[in-house]
Amino acid sequence: MSGLVLEAVSAHYGDVQALWDVSLSVAPGRLVTLLGANGAGKTTTLRTICGQVKASAGTVRYDGREITRCEVHEVADLGITLVPEGRQLFPQMTVEENLLVGSYLPRTRANRKRNLSRVYDLFPRLAERRSQRAETLSGGEQQMLAIGRGLMQEPHLIMFDEPSLGLAPILVREIFGIIRELHRQGLTIFLVEQNVHHAIRVADYCYVIENGRVVREGAPLDLEADPAIRQAYLGL
Amino acid sequence: MRRGDETEPGLRPRQLFTEVPVLWQLLPQAVLDGLLIGGVYITVALGFSLAFGVMHIIDFAVGEWIMLGAFLGYYLQRWTGLDPLALLPVVFAVFTAVGYVIQPVIHRAVSGRRGNPVLMGLVFTFGLMLAIRGAGLTVFGFFSHSIPSALSARSLFLEAGGLFVTVPAIRLFGFVYAIGITAVLHWVLRRTDFGLAVRALAQNRDAAGLMGINARRIGSWVYGIHVGVSAMTGVVIGSIFSISAQMGGDYTILAFFVVVLAGMGYLAGVPWAAFLLGLVQSLFLVYGNPSYTLLAVFAILYLILLVSPKGLFAKGV
Repeated sequence: MSGLVLEAVSAHYGDVQALWDVSLSVAPGRLVTLLGANGAGKTTTLRTICGQVKASAGTVRYDGREITRCEVHEVADLGITLVPEGRQLFPQMTVEENLLVGSYLPRTRANRKRNLSRVYDLFPRLAERRSQRAETLSGGEQQMLAIGRGLMQEPHLIMFDEPSLGLAPILVREIFGIIRELHRQGLTIFLVEQNVHHAIRVADYCYVIENGRVVREGAPLDLEADPAIRQAYLGL
Repeated sequence: MRRGDETEPGLRPRQLFTEVPVLWQLLPQAVLDGLLIGGVYITVALGFSLAFGVMHIIDFAVGEWIMLGAFLGYYLQRWTGLDPLALLPVVFAVFTAVGYVIQPVIHRAVSGRRGNPVLMGLVFTFGLMLAIRGAGLTVFGFFSHSIPSALSARSLFLEAGGLFVTVPAIRLFGFVYAIGITAVLHWVLRRTDFGLAVRALAQNRDAAGLMGINARRIGSWVYGIHVGVSAMTGVVIGSIFSISAQMGGDYTILAFFVVVLAGMGYLAGVPWAAFLLGLVQSLFLVYGNPSYTLLAVFAILYLILLVSPKGLFAKGV
């Protein structure tokens, strides 16, 4: 099967097991979300996919190829991009330099100029601030820069880790609007969120993770109708 | 301005016929010597600072790379008869390769599941330093040598208002060399994709990996460049002063001083810290007791760190 497939993946931090037999898949062109509370294992799942954490059991496949033991930079070269939690920008670089690091990979360097102007079209604020240091940006601008930097990598699959965290409601709507737009343009998206209200509305398919285990999956409408989910995650 | 070819480098003309007191007569020379030698300290500390900034390795072997480079220059000169300054690119190439090959070993020692990588790196490079020094003493012996260049015997004299300074041509070369290396490194870091990757690694290691940057390969190149520049600087030092198998320790201490003063891993502060070190050393040599120069240098470092714990020039982290 093409796309991203996790089969019974477990992961540890030292002696502490963080993921237990996580299985999920993200088919090409879809927008899949992983929902869960703080500490449920959402970020660990993403870190395991991109090679920052090595799975202690199970396999991670991308387009049929096993990537479980791949190094972080190798996964990035396959077209899997993570827009990490907390932006993780290069603070003392300018906005433009941050974007240029995004096109460090040789396969994207030839298109650097074109990609740069695309990102600036998508986020005019970044164009205005192109020579400003990243650490001087506001939270929303930093999130835009993190997304823009990810797009410079020409991803086939882009993963977002809590993109709405710490943003004002109006910016949250803007970020989700952009994610929806990227999806509409055909990008495969794996979205990890605590903000279930928004995430469930943009998703094609949802997984729910609790204590390192996938406990529920289904179409957004099914999940929204589930009384347990409504109570635990939607506060209804 | 006139030129004297026979003058011994560093000899200060003491002109007693002017109105200027002797101690004041020595000041311009001391300041100039300090700035010129401070230039060389830039190249001693640049690679050290870069290695710390990118890999968090405190490289206690830096002085030994200087020593090994100096001896390679010494033997190459004896075999080829070429001027040591013409051999600098060869020494750089050889030791960049050495550093590139050795870095993965250091990486293995300091990474993975080790509890305190910075301390592990310190202990490991300390061991490396002792091993190289021991081998150096065995192979090269205890004697001091010099690597004379055609420039070593030349000096410029400058005179203004009854004050004289001597500028040994080889020290002037050392200064220009250091500024040149600094400029090239600055250009590489600011204007190339390799430089972008190096800065990305220094600023956010995890994010750099996500951008497809191979931390190990870049780390090997950084350590290679550090070792190459240090070794090349060894040859320059050898044609200014003298070389011996035990010379490394002093330069490790000086590199450490410059990098702490500049702010650990903060490259832009290195030149200023190096000039300050050169000046302090040179002034203390003239106006203080030469036996206590290093003590004075570190007393000053201590006082500065009391006031500004992150070093004089570090901005932010």
